[in-house]
Amino acid sequence: MMRAKAILRNPPLLTFLLVALVWLIAGLSLRGFGAYGHLRYLLELAAVIGIAAAGQTLVVLMGGIDLSVGAVITVTAILLPLLSPAWDPTGLVGVALVLAIAVGIGLLNGAGATFLQVPPIIMTLAMATFLQGMLVLVAGGSAVTVQNPAVLLLGQSRPLGVPAGVVLWILVSACMLLLIHRMPIGARFLALGANPLAARLSGVSTTRNTLILYALSGFFAGLAGLLLLGMNRQGYVGIGDPYLLTSIAAVVLGGTSILGGRGTYAGTIPGAILLVTTTALITVVNASPGWRSIMFGSLILALLMISGREARR
Amino acid sequence: MTDAGPLLEARRVFKGFFGNPVLKGVDIALRPGRVHALLGENGAGKSTLINLLSGALAPDKGAIAIDGQPISRLSPASARAAGIAVVQQELSLAGDLSIAENIGLGAYPRRFGLIDYAALARGVREVCDLVGLTEPLDMPVADLALGRRQMVEIAKALFRKPRVLILDEPTSSLSAHEAGVLGRLIATLRDRGVAILYISHRLNEVQALCSHVTVLKDGGVTADRSLAGVDGEGLVRLMVGRETGELFPPKPQQRVGKVRIDVEGFSAGLVRDARLAGRAGEIVGIGGLVGQGQEDLLLGLYGAIPAKADRAEIDGRSGLPVDVAAANAAGMVYVPADRKHEGLVLPHSIASNILLPSLGRLARGGLRDRRAEAGLVADLARQLMIKGDVARPVQALSGGNQQKVALAKWLPLDPGVLLLNDPTRGVDIETKREIYLMLRRFAAEGRLVILASSDTPELVHLCDRVLVLREGLVAAELSGPAITEAAIVGAAMGVEQGEGIGRKTVQ
Amino acid sequence: MNRASSSGLYGAIQRRRNRGLVGLYLVVAAFLVLYAVLFPGILTIGGFSKFTQNWFPLALVTMAQALLMLNGGITLAIGPLVSLGAVIAATTMGSAFGVPGGILAVVAVGLGIGAVTGAIVALLRLPAIIVTLAGSFIITGVALILLPRPGGFVPGWLSTLLAGHTPVAFLLLLVILGLWKIFLATPLGLAIYAAGDNPVGAFRSGVPIERVKIVSFALSGVLAALAGLFVAAQTGSGDPIIGAPFTLNSIAAAVLGGVGFLGGKGTMRGAVCGSLLLSVMINVMFFLGFPPVAQYVAQGLIIVGAVAVPAHLALWRAAR
Repeated sequence: MMRAKAILRNPPLLTFLLVALVWLIAGLSLRGFGAYGHLRYLLELAAVIGIAAAGQTLVVLMGGIDLSVGAVITVTAILLPLLSPAWDPTGLVGVALVLAIAVGIGLLNGAGATFLQVPPIIMTLAMATFLQGMLVLVAGGSAVTVQNPAVLLLGQSRPLGVPAGVVLWILVSACMLLLIHRMPIGARFLALGANPLAARLSGVSTTRNTLILYALSGFFAGLAGLLLLGMNRQGYVGIGDPYLLTSIAAVVLGGTSILGGRGTYAGTIPGAILLVTTTALITVVNASPGWRSIMFGSLILALLMISGREARR
Repeated sequence: MTDAGPLLEARRVFKGFFGNPVLKGVDIALRPGRVHALLGENGAGKSTLINLLSGALAPDKGAIAIDGQPISRLSPASARAAGIAVVQQELSLAGDLSIAENIGLGAYPRRFGLIDYAALARGVREVCDLVGLTEPLDMPVADLALGRRQMVEIAKALFRKPRVLILDEPTSSLSAHEAGVLGRLIATLRDRGVAILYISHRLNEVQALCSHVTVLKDGGVTADRSLAGVDGEGLVRLMVGRETGELFPPKPQQRVGKVRIDVEGFSAGLVRDARLAGRAGEIVGIGGLVGQGQEDLLLGLYGAIPAKADRAEIDGRSGLPVDVAAANAAGMVYVPADRKHEGLVLPHSIASNILLPSLGRLARGGLRDRRAEAGLVADLARQLMIKGDVARPVQALSGGNQQKVALAKWLPLDPGVLLLNDPTRGVDIETKREIYLMLRRFAAEGRLVILASSDTPELVHLCDRVLVLREGLVAAELSGPAITEAAIVGAAMGVEQGEGIGRKTVQ
Repeated sequence: MNRASSSGLYGAIQRRRNRGLVGLYLVVAAFLVLYAVLFPGILTIGGFSKFTQNWFPLALVTMAQALLMLNGGITLAIGPLVSLGAVIAATTMGSAFGVPGGILAVVAVGLGIGAVTGAIVALLRLPAIIVTLAGSFIITGVALILLPRPGGFVPGWLSTLLAGHTPVAFLLLLVILGLWKIFLATPLGLAIYAAGDNPVGAFRSGVPIERVKIVSFALSGVLAALAGLFVAAQTGSGDPIIGAPFTLNSIAAAVLGGVGFLGGKGTMRGAVCGSLLLSVMINVMFFLGFPPVAQYVAQGLIIVGAVAVPAHLALWRAAR
């Protein structure tokens, strides 16, 4: 009884158990679901969402939502082939340039939110729209093929049978858990998310932390864009769009309060896997993108109602 | 006194918040044609009682009765329908709407479903004449000064032709002239048979206007009697009802040290051109009526709102801190008045609240040092007698203990200057005593304590020096034996009291 | 109405509101003159009709957005609602419902979705911005299910009537603005402003703030869905994602018109002027040969600029 309660009070664990349950049932009832290749594929897909949701987790913890995640993924996927110089055999120069741009976009978001006092959701929405227009103007809207060796390695190689993307995700997860639970800045994000005024009067700098926060969100979205590009081999306008919704859904599925101040990336990890799994299952019963949109929307709304109820208690 | 039955009563009402009892079986009866005073210290339960009488809150036990009939679930709407109007301290006006639209809000005269602006203008004109508002009725309320807005608020209550009028500190932002108009108005309404409940900290007003008084102390009624033959001192005794000597630690012989703060020509928010100096070992009080710039003064010094000064020196360094982090680095810390919204991160644990300002300092190699953190928290909890598990959310604590956490979190920084904004508001007596002792100890340790307080006894008995603010200006600076309740209240209200209020500058 | 006596106070209040917007009126007028000089075609009936037809849906969604912002809320579901309105119009009007049934269906859906959203926000006290974000996904999904690909049918005569060479759209806009003025002269309408500015105070004054919020969301939903109906008539068919740009456009126009994010600040007439200004800007960009996506770039910049510039002007003034 006590233990059951403890599990219910621990959303990350709950989500993990849910994933295990779904995998068990689907593995027993659906042919091919439990195959190593298929599960590995699911994890690979989850890695992109998980990495994109890393930045989103931080933003949500601090009480915001980053609506530019999808656009930043698209930007990195489109710009990488254009910015990878031919003289660089490793492709790392292009990677560094593109990630710097992603961080720059994040910093602009943060600057708009702090210096211009634009509500962060509006700021990131405006940024997403702006980027969408810029991309078509700059890149012309046609698909680009990636030749960058570093990105291809990231998307295609499987050291010891584990996809490199999953390895990257494990690294990102380790960094994220360290950042949230073992570094002062994690506690500051949480305090700002739960009560910005009290945090500010306690000497936590809103400006500084908001800038860092959105820069990190841009960085992780850029990283997710690179991984996606490597897996896809092709970048096109709109490639990042589905990841806006899924990044938010993964965060709230992991038990992080959408109102800020409470949660952990440890929940987002199983959240991303659960999301990919349910999407795969829905695809089996052949659901349209419309149904998927409804499902994610209702999911966010339902969790919002639950976490809002808790917040008011 | 009239023989008519009470229009509005509270019958043995109890009310508590988060397990802290605020009202413990309070009776009050408002009769027609009588001005009834409600007195009590800050935190005695006056606001809660008003909220019960106006239907904004429901009692835990006991009943509210209208015309002798107990009402099971009084809502603000049904209270209004029964003719109960409240003028609260916080204004209920919408800044962009005109005076007329504000006064009529919620009670607009209609014609074919539309607001009848002609009838509205007539009705509003009438109540505006009563309260002496001569501004054009189409003027947006945002363009009015604070005192005029307060008069709009009163006119708004009158517009509903109330049978019961509750006035909560109506004169706190009024000029002497406006207060006079209000006094005559109250007399008129009383003669028309309106039951009036008048809440004020100004005893002379109460004695001039009211005929009956209920005194609240710590959630109970200590007096419910006619005001005839009661003098001011007697009322104060009923409100305080304890020897102040027990509550406050003795003031030590003035043995002040180096200058910690010295600012001249300081302006921030409401505060204009203030001069403030404080030395190590002092407790400097900031007094005045509510909202005269006390909070802006502290926040400006703390770098939390824009401030400027002709000359500023803080612990030997010149210049005001540009932000909170700089203030902390300069050894200044701030404990806000509204601990729930400004002081604490309520859903987070006691430990994380205590650690918040010290996170960076305790980290080693960029990572948090769990052992050092746990040690610090345990140490502070013991020092401040915060009982129980520090992993509990801080919202589970009583008001007094919350306030101790809000204070405790700053101690690891070893601050040279403590800025405190009404730290004992809504805190039980026992914790008050602890906080006073603590402040004295801080001063004795060579810190400077700057204490803004709405509790006049606190200023008198705890502070070595008191600055009284009025409309953003330093109206008086008192020290030593010159610090008396009369001097503080007099300066706060702009009453010259001869030699009693010295405008002398210490040092 | 008793004009003679009511013109006193009511007229004075209106005049004072207009006085605060003189700057905006002048800017809009200047842009319109510039536009007429660049493209004299606007001065013909046909040109004027086309111009106002481009403005009409933007004006509606701006009203839908400003209504909520004035009440202290915001919605990110405008675009999807426009799409859904277009989809419903295009799928019902060709069927047994006919045009009247289709219009009724669009209004009912907008009203229903708005009311439900408003109820969630008001009764559960959740932040409007996140509720409408989630709502926008659900509404988009519904539109995609009803009409996975652009298609459907809007009767030709309706398209000709609304989006032909006559200024019917402009007249409709005048009617809607008139209805809004009447609504604003009701206690409920004025309560939208009061509750946005000072919700606690309005509540204590007897304003049913929850009901006011639900009503404003419902009206906002109707306006957005009607904008979708018009867009469907304009294009002759339904498109499940055609509304997407309207979300940000509506915010940009409202902010341009001086409506604040925090509620109670600004006026509807200002917002409508803002939408006219934005519409002129978009038209100019179009005529100058910018590709349609340049609109997105402009929107992003306008929003940030329209929020940042006044805020910094205020700061600058305060610092002096």
